[in-house]
Amino acid sequence: MAQPLLTADGIEVRRGMNVVLKDVTLHLHSGEVLALTGENGAGKSTLLETCARLLPLEQGRILHADVVVADHEGRRRATPLVLGLALQKNGMMGSEYVVEHLETAMAMSGRRVDPLPFLAALSLKHRAEDLVAHLSQGQARKVAVLAALLPAFAAKEPGLILLDEPAAGMDDASVSVLCEWIAQLRILGHGVMIGTHDQRMSNCATTHIDVSTFETTAATPNEPSSDPVAEAQPVKATSPASFGWKMQLRTLAWLNHNAVASLLTLGVLLSFGDLLDGLEDLQRYGFLLAPAFAAGLCGEAMVQASREERANAWWRAVADANPHSGILPLILGCLLTLLSTLSFSVAVEARIVVVGGLLTFVTWHIIRLLQESTDRLARPRAVFVGLLTPILILPYALLLDLLTR
Amino acid sequence: MKQRVSEGLLFLGFTGIASTLLLALLWAPSVSLEAFESPAAQRIFYWHVPAAWAAFIAFGALFIGSAGWLFKRSEVMWRLHTAGAEAGLATGLMTVWSGCVWGAAEWGTPWDWTDVRLNTFGLLTLLAVYLVLGRSSQPDGVETRDTFAAFGLYGFVLVPLTYVATRIWSIRHPGPVVGTGDEGSINGDMGLVLLLGALSFTVFIIGHIMNSMHVTSLEQRLERLQATMDKVI
Repeated sequence: MAQPLLTADGIEVRRGMNVVLKDVTLHLHSGEVLALTGENGAGKSTLLETCARLLPLEQGRILHADVVVADHEGRRRATPLVLGLALQKNGMMGSEYVVEHLETAMAMSGRRVDPLPFLAALSLKHRAEDLVAHLSQGQARKVAVLAALLPAFAAKEPGLILLDEPAAGMDDASVSVLCEWIAQLRILGHGVMIGTHDQRMSNCATTHIDVSTFETTAATPNEPSSDPVAEAQPVKATSPASFGWKMQLRTLAWLNHNAVASLLTLGVLLSFGDLLDGLEDLQRYGFLLAPAFAAGLCGEAMVQASREERANAWWRAVADANPHSGILPLILGCLLTLLSTLSFSVAVEARIVVVGGLLTFVTWHIIRLLQESTDRLARPRAVFVGLLTPILILPYALLLDLLTR
Repeated sequence: MKQRVSEGLLFLGFTGIASTLLLALLWAPSVSLEAFESPAAQRIFYWHVPAAWAAFIAFGALFIGSAGWLFKRSEVMWRLHTAGAEAGLATGLMTVWSGCVWGAAEWGTPWDWTDVRLNTFGLLTLLAVYLVLGRSSQPDGVETRDTFAAFGLYGFVLVPLTYVATRIWSIRHPGPVVGTGDEGSINGDMGLVLLLGALSFTVFIIGHIMNSMHVTSLEQRLERLQATMDKVI
């Protein structure tokens, strides 16, 4: 038998203090549609998210094709397959455009198809250029599910599609379209795993698994009524940094999150009058670089923004990283240091401007890592990550010392 | 039985700490008037040094507990993590507060941002605040435990760094004065009071950790009983 697209090998997973999955082994082969059924809390979402490498394993391992992508010792590797994922939450930020989200999802696989016919089939073509935030819940759900299917339609090789309650909030016509697409993807050789309570979705499956007992039942799914006609072209992959950069520029989150604190710092320093007169170099550099440092200490706005609808989890699963601002802090830091230098009416030193940029860049991304470290928590916003920011003050002081030597 | 032992240790520790303070204020000899800006303030060291010693024990417990949870999934080790964080917070604040008082009197400033030992110790205390507040804000679960245990594990890097900081970097914070064999070592009476302080704080912190672990186990038992009641009702 051919290598399965997905293997869960003796996995054990905990949620909270409960062991939700214990010694579970299953395979998903090319051309197979697996429906996970069972009552609430049985572990359907847990199994799907574990297969997407979003939950840590207490025991066992997950393989995509023949690659171990996660194991119980915390090792994690990028999936070698095209991965389509629709979580229970939609995994999209409200500031994304509909067609942009679909293009981003397809870009992960390196190929794209025209998304407009698909949107038209779901009665969403007129919403293609709208922000996700402007959609109704049902419309947003359709976009999220479509974003999981399109990478497979564009892919050359069989891929893996994981859908958690895909039909939630969808009308009957849309569910019929969805079942037709799933049948087409099955014929194309993709593997689909669906966690669902909806009988209409279960009817698309070749195999049913009751997650409460792990009883497996073979089924005869509906055959597709037409062949897939989408024509795919190669496309450049979207990185988490380029996506984050785009979102930062669109939402101006950097202005609210970082630049305001920096400008306030500068304003407070300027309010003391001719502060720099008679100061030693160490103190002078400290004041000049303080706004850039303040901007970095505020951290990454994308961390907060990408928690909307669990967009961060979607990014971690499909791109192995959360969206972030890339080199934006470097540019912002240089500009803020330049502004600070001009405001204090001292000669502009290219060296100090560059150091300001690097200071913001490094500080910003260290705080980002601290912020991201709380992503797994049930209430990440309730944790005081700010308490750990003083860890950067000593390096700042040592940097100033270095500059004066 | 364990509860009685921990309470006994706490009582013994408190008594020893009170005795140390009395001896420090009334019996221990004064330091050289020429060597210090504020010789009277130096007596705060009989509190500061043993508290810092106890903090290192607490952070050691935090490290062992964190590693034990992450690698062995041991409930006892999670309780040790919790107790270590709470004890580290208490003794860390004692140390930082007393150090600030002495710094203000001796250096003219309560804090020096360029001093490695001050900053690394301050960070350890902030880490303990973060862990204690963070844990209380989250429901108990592997996600919560893994996250905070990872912080406990990585944060421990600061302990040896703090300890050796005065030997590596030329900084304001005084270096070791006990058992170094240098001329700057303290005299016998001073050493005796410091030793009593260190022993008292050690007993106190062990009692505190045992007591904390017991309280956490009672909390966990309560949660289990509530979960059972949820199913029955």
